[in-house]
Amino acid sequence: MSTQAFSPVAPDRFPASELAEAVASCARCGFCKVACPTFPFGGGFETFSPRAKVYFLKDYFEGRDVLTPEWVDRLYRCTTCERCQAVCQTAIPLVPLWEAVRADVVARGLGPMPAHKKLRALAEAHGNPYGEPADKQSQWLLPEHKPVEAADILVFGGCTASYRMPSMLQTGVTILTRLAIPYAYAGGLENCCASPLLRTGQLDVAGELIGRNLDLFARTGARTIVTPCGGCSKTLKHDYPQWARKLGKPFDVTVRHFSEVYADLLRQGRIRPSVPVEATVTFHDPCHVGRSQGLFDEPREILAAIPGVKLVEMPRCRESSRCCGAGGGVKANYPEMAAAIAKDRLEEAVATGADTLVTMCPFCQGSFSQAIKETDASIGLCGLEELLLASLPEAR
Amino acid sequence: MTYQEEFAQRFGEAVSFDPQILRSYDHDLGEMPRPLLAMIRHRPDVVVVARSAGDTADALRLAGKHGLPVTPRAQASSGYGGAIPCRGGLVLDLCNCNRVLSVDAANATVDVEPGVVWEDLSRALAPHGLGNRVCPTSAPSSTVGGWFAMGGVGIGSLRYGTIRDNVLEIDVAGLDGAVRTFRGEAMEPYSQTCGSLGVVTRLRLACRKAETLLPLAARMPDAPAAVRFLELLEAWPDVYSASLQSAGYCAMRAAAEGHAPALASGFLVSFATTAKETATAEATRLAALCGGALLDDAVAEAEWNGRYYPMRIRKVGPSALVGEYLVPMQGFPAAHAALTAALKRDALGVEAFGVRGGGLAVLVYILDDARALLYPLRMAKAMLPMRLAARFGGRPYATGMWFSALAGEVFGPDKLALVRRLKAQLDARGLLNPGKLSGPGLPLAPFVSLSRCILAGTACLGPLAALLPSKPRRTS
Ligand SMILES: Cc1cc2nc3c(=O)[nH]c(=O)nc-3n(C[C@H](O)[C@H](O)[C@H](O)COP(=O)(O)OP(=O)(O)OC[C@H]3O[C@@H](n4cnc5c(N)ncnc54)[C@H](O)[C@@H]3O)c2cc1C
Ligand code: SF4
Ligand code: SF4
Repeated sequence: MSTQAFSPVAPDRFPASELAEAVASCARCGFCKVACPTFPFGGGFETFSPRAKVYFLKDYFEGRDVLTPEWVDRLYRCTTCERCQAVCQTAIPLVPLWEAVRADVVARGLGPMPAHKKLRALAEAHGNPYGEPADKQSQWLLPEHKPVEAADILVFGGCTASYRMPSMLQTGVTILTRLAIPYAYAGGLENCCASPLLRTGQLDVAGELIGRNLDLFARTGARTIVTPCGGCSKTLKHDYPQWARKLGKPFDVTVRHFSEVYADLLRQGRIRPSVPVEATVTFHDPCHVGRSQGLFDEPREILAAIPGVKLVEMPRCRESSRCCGAGGGVKANYPEMAAAIAKDRLEEAVATGADTLVTMCPFCQGSFSQAIKETDASIGLCGLEELLLASLPEAR
Repeated sequence: MTYQEEFAQRFGEAVSFDPQILRSYDHDLGEMPRPLLAMIRHRPDVVVVARSAGDTADALRLAGKHGLPVTPRAQASSGYGGAIPCRGGLVLDLCNCNRVLSVDAANATVDVEPGVVWEDLSRALAPHGLGNRVCPTSAPSSTVGGWFAMGGVGIGSLRYGTIRDNVLEIDVAGLDGAVRTFRGEAMEPYSQTCGSLGVVTRLRLACRKAETLLPLAARMPDAPAAVRFLELLEAWPDVYSASLQSAGYCAMRAAAEGHAPALASGFLVSFATTAKETATAEATRLAALCGGALLDDAVAEAEWNGRYYPMRIRKVGPSALVGEYLVPMQGFPAAHAALTAALKRDALGVEAFGVRGGGLAVLVYILDDARALLYPLRMAKAMLPMRLAARFGGRPYATGMWFSALAGEVFGPDKLALVRRLKAQLDARGLLNPGKLSGPGLPLAPFVSLSRCILAGTACLGPLAALLPSKPRRTS
């Protein structure tokens, strides 16, 4: 295949010539190999490392190698965690590269993997990859939650939080409610943010879902979209602006992960955590919140503000945080690998001696709750906002 | 049983004969021209992922039994071809032999398996109040065993010397499947020889007491001043590590990282001292003695934090020709001047590490593009730094496969004789990493060494190559 024939994600995101240039600058230092959480699951063979994938892609782009089903499989064994990209000797944008290649694989009919095709079918039929009916989307709303018709803030629940792991979403909205901050919520009308489809290279259906969401956002007139999900916030922040341009739709909003909102409220003195929460916690930086959005200080600022909470960091934290194993379509197609990666990370958390593992993405929460169940680990799990809420005095 | 059957039986999932997998093991860091690679069987026939000394010993025993050449390979982060097969056979992937076996905090030593990555080791030592004495700037990926087998200097070498100086004991597995322990002088033949005498399965390293380091940086007007400053730093016991960078290298780095260069001319010396209150004042005094001055803390910190990223410059290459040599500090200014005169059409970037005893390990970078038609010809320029430095007391840095013909200069005649004697005793069939002590033979003339051909070819083509400037494709 020539690079001219290459069909990357969004045309303005990563042109073919840049892909070729990027892989040509690989120094083969192997930093990415050591950092990658999925590499060890290839039996230790170099071929499963990001370095080998870049080497293969260089040959592939220059027409010296072919995409075999085995290579397609290897290219999908990646959580898009961005560790490789963070340590790359020559600053190659590796995750956009992986995603561009997956899109090409799909365009050629060589991918995605079977479970990803199911996600697609469900998303096409139901607007979410869990195949849940739209009327269940707002099931997480508590009686005290009072979304308004139109507001500056639009809460975007996201599929995982809405249908599977609602606690972070629920708690975040409870905090907004307590502070009497008006918010709108389009329960039942939200479509999947398209993250699982974008990450697995299924651009056509991703484009449809994004288009529908862009229309929805425009209809609500919201200025800020707030979401508890790492995947949704990354996608809305980084992918939507390009897709909006591509689809010719407006997208004049600010996207915020809930942690940014809490940090702001804290800085403005609008929330004052004062009820002690006696807990020794360790914090897991979700890849798509931390490395993708640079939100490392915000959660720590929030934890530091909660009286009684003692934070013990894992050796790999912030930029070098390990992945929970769920992203990039890995949990769907390689559930065993995903579970093993989550258990590795859980072990690191347990080793800190903390009594609670705190995180801020429902996807990570899902991985860890499964890992805790399967290993019987003696550590609790909660969302950042749950600690925050517990430390807020009851409204009088 | 065939060797395939026997390896499959012993190693199960940890062995592969899959051509796609084998292909990932036929290269290292270097970007060698394809016609050159076509002269050797650089693709292995089988790969084994070893996870213990027992696996390594068994793989060697089976290779010995079946007459299979064995290439040990760690992270393949060296570019001298030492981890590349030249007669196919078995590649023994040692990256998963990566356990820290024991830490002796009282004696400040650590025992490790060979595949332990330097940065992981430093993390493992920290809770014991210890740190690595030396490590290469590839520390986030390269291994303890790989560096010992390759030989070299890096961070910490100004205080602690080479990797060899800091290894106290090794275990080595041979083709008979036995593992033997060596200490002191007896270890010498196993260092720098790329596993040609056996595969290292355990190393005991001397560690330093961990202490907070203060990164500093100084600007020096020229090479003699930079060298004088390095000599003063070596004499100052608080200094742990020091390296210098030419303004050309700073410019490349700045272009790759998108900031203004730290200096426009002369040399930048980046160093780390024990964090004492008096350190900055003393550094300022020493810098002034050499006609230089201390740079901002921000520059010093950026240099120290970026110490593992010497090749970030490839972002503007996208490739780089790299020449490497060792030279006494006093010889560096003249060697550098000679090189600048010889390659006046090129922008050169120079980075060098101070080595205990007044030595300097110098890397010369010229940005290029390995995809360009004339790249193979321009590669001859990479040999010039070493050749010119020889006039000023310089010598080659390492051998690997491509420079195996320089083994005498790298090891010295006595060590070379000893190594050859041992090779004949331990590996008469030449199965242990063949081609790394005397160079692989040419396909149609097996008695002609490919390494000698490379040396002769680059010597002839060097002057012509010097006329062909290597132009970076992008400058930002
Ligand atoms: C960014 C970057 C920075 C670098 N900085 C430095 C530096 O500061 N100093 C320096 O000297 N080099 C440096 N290098 C080169 C390289 O990283 C070092 O030589 C490194 O130590 C090689 O380690 P490795 O684990 O990659 O070994 P490999 O490259 O896999 O192996 C090196 C040689 O040792 C042999 N070998 C490997 N393991 C064993 C074993 N257990 N027993 C016997 N033989 C074995 C291999 O066959 C090969 O011949 C750098 C490279 C990069 C990419
Ligand atoms: S994004 Fe993460 S999982 Fe994917 S190759 Fe990079 S480090 Fe590995
Ligand atoms: S870290 Fe970057 S430069 Fe190094 S091998 Fe990986 S992709 Fe290549």
